[in-house]
Amino acid sequence: MKEFDIIGNTLYLALFTDVTNSKELLESMQAGTLEPEVAFLNASLIPDVFPVLAAAHKTLVAKSRDSLTTRTLHSELVYNYSGSKHITESLKRCGISDSTTYILAARFNATLDEMKAIEKLISGKEIDLEELEGRANQTQIQKQYKISGVELGISSLADAITCRIAARDAL
Amino acid sequence: MEIKADIKDNSLILLKQGAEARVFESAFVGRRSIVKERFSKKYRHPTLDSKLTLKRLNAEARCMTKARRLGVTTPLLYSVDPVLHTLTLEFVEGPSVKDVFLEFGSHGVVEERLDDIALQIGDAIGKLHDGGLIHGDLTTSNMLLRSGTNQLVLIDFGLSFTSTLPEDKAVDLYVLERALISMHSSCGNVMDRILASYRKSSKQWSSTFNKLAEVRQRGRKRTMVG
Repeated sequence: MKEFDIIGNTLYLALFTDVTNSKELLESMQAGTLEPEVAFLNASLIPDVFPVLAAAHKTLVAKSRDSLTTRTLHSELVYNYSGSKHITESLKRCGISDSTTYILAARFNATLDEMKAIEKLISGKEIDLEELEGRANQTQIQKQYKISGVELGISSLADAITCRIAARDAL
Repeated sequence: MEIKADIKDNSLILLKQGAEARVFESAFVGRRSIVKERFSKKYRHPTLDSKLTLKRLNAEARCMTKARRLGVTTPLLYSVDPVLHTLTLEFVEGPSVKDVFLEFGSHGVVEERLDDIALQIGDAIGKLHDGGLIHGDLTTSNMLLRSGTNQLVLIDFGLSFTSTLPEDKAVDLYVLERALISMHSSCGNVMDRILASYRKSSKQWSSTFNKLAEVRQRGRKRTMVG
C-alpha cells in the first residue's frame, strides 16, 4: 500500500491478488453498506499508478466544484479512470465483477484505522504496487482505450491511458 | 471525510505570455508540468468569449491527442479544465529546434544532427497530414527536441484543425518554409531535406507538392480576384 498527495488531499492505494470475496465486496458496495467507502478498480487495466492519480486529480477537482457525475466520490474515481463517458459500462469494466481476483483498492483521505479496515475487508494477498506493470493485461487495455500499435510506438500504455482520461470531456 | 476545495495549491511560474494564452510552469501530481491558460478577451461579449475560449481549448486537446494516435510525439496531456480554461501538459526537457538551428547559424552546422532533425520533421508532418490533421502553426519554435533521445516533440496545437484538402496541407508546409527562410537561411536548404522526408512518410505527397508549387506562386492567402 502507498499514499499519494494530490492537491492537498491524499489517495491511499493498495493492490491485492488472489481475492476470493469479490462477490461480497461488490454486493455490499452496490447496497451502499461498504464501510469505509472504497473504490475497487480492475487492476488488470492498470499498468502504472500515474493514470490513477490523474483520474483522482480530476475527481477531486470535480468534487471541489460539487460537479460529480456519479453518485459517490469513489465511484467517480472508477468512472474517471475508464476514459469513457458511459457510466454503467465504465463501472462494469474498470470496477470489479463477481469473479475478479486482482483488485486495486483506493480511498481518499484515509485514516490509519480506515486503511486497516480496508485490508481486513478484502480476502486476498496484498502485493507491492510495483507489480502493476508486469501484471497488466495489454490486450484488454488496448481494447478498452482503443490504443493502436502506431501510438504505442511513441508512447507507453500508461501515458496513452492518461491522455484519454484527461481528454475525455473535450471529445 | 473532508475534501479541501483549494485546487490551486501548486505554485505557478509565468514562462510566457502570448496573444491567446499564458504559459506557466507548475507540478501535476508530482510531475513537472506546463499549464496553458487561455484568458478571456475583454473586448468580446462575455457569452461569446467564454464559448470561443472553451471551443478552442477543447479543440487543442483533441488535436494533441489525435496527433499522438497518429504516431507523432506531443507533450502528454495531464488534464483539461473547462472552468479555469487551462490545459495541463507534460514539461518536455530540451531545446527548441529554433534554438538548435540558431546555434548552427552562429557556430557552424552539424550536418549529421541537421539531417536527423529534418528527417524527423518531415516524417512527423507527413503522418499528421495523412491522418487528416493540419498543425496550423509550424515554426521551429513550436518543435522541441527531447534531451537525451533527441526525439522531436511538436507543441502548440492551438491553431490546429482537421482537413484532408491538399490546399490546407500545402499552406501548412508553406508556413514552415517561410519561417525557415526568414529565420534559418544560414543552415542551408533545410526545407528540401524536410520535403524529401515528407515524401517518404506521406502517401499523398504528390497532390500536396503540386498544391505547394501553386501556393508558392501566390502566397498563403488565396487571391479572391476573378
